[in-house]
Amino acid sequence: MLQFILRRVLLTVPVLIGVVFVVFAIARVLPGDPCFVALGQRATPEACAAFGERYGLNEPIYVQFGIFVSDLLHGDLGTSIAYGRPISEILIERMPVTLELTLIALTIATVFGITLGIASAARRNSGVDVGTMVFANLGVSIPVFVLGLILAYVFAVVLKDTPLALPPGGRLSAGLIIVPLAEAWGLQDLEGPLRAVVDFVGNMYVISTLITGQWGAFGDALVHLILPAVALATIPLALIARMTRSSLLEVLGQDYIRTARAKGVIERRVVLRHGLRNAILPVVTVIGLTLGALLSGAVLTETIFGLTGIGRTITDSILGRDYPVIQALTLVTAILYLAVNLVVDLSYAFLDPRIRLE
Amino acid sequence: MRRLFPLFVVAGLVLAACTPSESESPSPSESEPPPESTAPFSPISYPEGGPADCAYGGEFSEIKAVDELTVEFTLCFPDPAFLSKIAFTAFAVHDSAYLEEAMANHLILARPIGTGPYRMTDWQRGIQIVLEKNPDYWGDVAGADQLVFNWATESAARLLALQAGVVDGIDNPAPNDFATIEGDANLRLIPREALNTFYVGFNENYEPFDDVLVRRALAMGIDRQRIIDNFYPEGSEAASHFTPCAIPLGCEGEPWYEFDPEGARALLAEAGLANGFATVLNYRDVVRGYLPDPNVVAQDLQAQLSENLNIDVRIEVQESGTFLDNATAGALTGLYLLGWGADYPDPTNFLDYHFNNPANGQFGDVDASVTDPLTTGATTLDTEVRRAAYEEANNAIRETVPMVPVAHGASATAWKADVEGAHSSPLGNESFAHVTPADRAQLVWMQNAEPIALYCADETDGETLRLCEQVTEALYAYEVGGTAPIPALAESCDGNAEATVFTCHLRAGVTFHNGAHLDANDVVTSYALQWDPAHPLHIGRTGSFEYFAGLFAAFLPTE
Repeated sequence: MLQFILRRVLLTVPVLIGVVFVVFAIARVLPGDPCFVALGQRATPEACAAFGERYGLNEPIYVQFGIFVSDLLHGDLGTSIAYGRPISEILIERMPVTLELTLIALTIATVFGITLGIASAARRNSGVDVGTMVFANLGVSIPVFVLGLILAYVFAVVLKDTPLALPPGGRLSAGLIIVPLAEAWGLQDLEGPLRAVVDFVGNMYVISTLITGQWGAFGDALVHLILPAVALATIPLALIARMTRSSLLEVLGQDYIRTARAKGVIERRVVLRHGLRNAILPVVTVIGLTLGALLSGAVLTETIFGLTGIGRTITDSILGRDYPVIQALTLVTAILYLAVNLVVDLSYAFLDPRIRLE
Repeated sequence: MRRLFPLFVVAGLVLAACTPSESESPSPSESEPPPESTAPFSPISYPEGGPADCAYGGEFSEIKAVDELTVEFTLCFPDPAFLSKIAFTAFAVHDSAYLEEAMANHLILARPIGTGPYRMTDWQRGIQIVLEKNPDYWGDVAGADQLVFNWATESAARLLALQAGVVDGIDNPAPNDFATIEGDANLRLIPREALNTFYVGFNENYEPFDDVLVRRALAMGIDRQRIIDNFYPEGSEAASHFTPCAIPLGCEGEPWYEFDPEGARALLAEAGLANGFATVLNYRDVVRGYLPDPNVVAQDLQAQLSENLNIDVRIEVQESGTFLDNATAGALTGLYLLGWGADYPDPTNFLDYHFNNPANGQFGDVDASVTDPLTTGATTLDTEVRRAAYEEANNAIRETVPMVPVAHGASATAWKADVEGAHSSPLGNESFAHVTPADRAQLVWMQNAEPIALYCADETDGETLRLCEQVTEALYAYEVGGTAPIPALAESCDGNAEATVFTCHLRAGVTFHNGAHLDANDVVTSYALQWDPAHPLHIGRTGSFEYFAGLFAAFLPTE
């Protein structure tokens, strides 16, 4: 197992080197001058020259690449041109938004997707099956921005002033101020990587308000995530439901299932214990791929619901020619994707003992 | 998972029990007021070695604190728009001590301290900015106890937030939603007077635009009202002059030509181009207030020119930066689409930048009948002399047609109907101190984007400048919902007859949010650090201080 993990980690190194090259190159071939984006279209040539000097953009391209790689090796992600702040700070602020949204959306998608898939497979060609598959087809067909706007309109405008009303966007109600985790734990003076970890967790508001007992803020943060999480979960939910159904149907047609039934095992146990365990591998693959994709940012969902996560940040940085942010966040996203894939691979052995990690 | 969840909840409860209560934590807005200085006031001036040599090309020669409440600006050349310029947000006055304390470590970028009606409470990055009423404000205190800035890039999301009642006002609803807002009794749409100009440009150094008859034919052969009716939001108007009429002295002189395709064809025939000609139409695919949909406007112009004047137009989109470079360098040989939004509300900002600016080659050689009166208008404080000068200049522009002004593009804000004092500022700097959200203590504003950083001397983004307007103040301000400069931190700024020396008298008893008193040295320092790239506080976010260079011509030369 350890050897497998080590080998997989080592294999990510050439992948990441490739990512570093490609991302740097792609960022530089984007048309447009970051100076005009940052300083406005009326920026003078002198101002742009000074700007380039400040951010190292006047250096030859290979020197810029060398500085980028050198900084990376020193653990420095660089400084954003658009915000004038360290990218690590931006990452600590914005990655938790995406992470929180992703985890809630994926939980919804997994729980409901697998449940619907099981129900559908267990009652093949019944009303439940047809209804589930119609829902699944609709789920993958409706663009997330349309669904997001519909959800926001129904729950925020139509159901306004009712107990079912939900906020149309944002992370917190206007004016609500959360006591930062570091402050709540008396760690204001903490610095370095530990402080970064505390701030990272602190920016996951649902978790940080829960563990610091800010109950009002906890409820508020949770309520604000419902609509975006549901909108984001719809497509993965539909995919998981369809995958679970088809995989389970295949397994339920196997001889050993017939044997189990012949031995008088109750149907629920046949489906959940004997069927699902063997049908779950492809579903886990879908969940893993979905997790990887969602971690790289749900741009549309974040945009519709006014959440400043990693997806919107990367999009904004591309539009703003913020090279350091494009490079750093894409690299971080690639690392996350590789990590998720590794975890998915490891989970195969856990779920199916016949699989050996060699 | 079934086992882990209760464990997680229990862990949360234990941690919560161990966490100090919220009341034990210091309020983010709390800060120690600086100790009151007992030293006698020692006035400073800049440059410290005496007035700058005006050969450097900039506007300022010297900025001097005459006494504790008097500042004198000596200029290198007359500037009748001086008051309009110093009212701009970028020239807010900061506490000198706080600048020293908070510039190098960038604290000022997140926590500005000003004299304004609201003061910063908290900036939750990516979420909201919370401000609270400044109870010690020198003027009328703000109408709401708390002001919250939210943002959403999508106009649909902003409108949903307003309809849901979670915000009190929004910026820039989509033109398609105007009717929805107007049809909702709970909402109110307030059009924003257009302070921009969209024009069709061409360069007189290239054929056939070197012939004034061709240029006049273009002026008469484009149905500008059709473009506005089809592609611009309500409140937009066909440009009667290059400068929008909301700007004082902007619309002196004869209005622009009426649409007359037959007359235009006759002019083309007189120029020997009865069968039209072929040309290119360049633009950048960038949405601006003056050009909300570049592609369809370009296509409509292409169709109109073909239909009305038999001109064969080939559309060619250029990358934004390249396009602007080409336009300024006078390298565009055909027609092009461009526009301008006001930096400060004075005709010099529109007319001089475009038609009396040797660095701007986009129109070719502009006729002296245009440039001479512009020079007159830019060098006197006498309103009547300026009025006559701009009348003459606008008439000359109409005669010589260096471009065709098309539209002043409007936008709007939308509010809950019960909000008192709701307004739209033509400059986009709504004053929320004058807005009261009925009986609610909190005013929530949603704009297009999150501010970038809050030291606005070094920012150009409108979303950022609007927030700074609530916290910091300049010597002058713009009237609420208008463009005229009115006294703010200065009770008055009096210019000499030549408009080269302005003496500003500060209000007595004004305090910054940290308790420090405003004095003339704060003004000198706030300007000097922008003016001089060698100043130790010339840092900001980008270090560019674009508006200073743009409005006051140049920085002090470095050694």
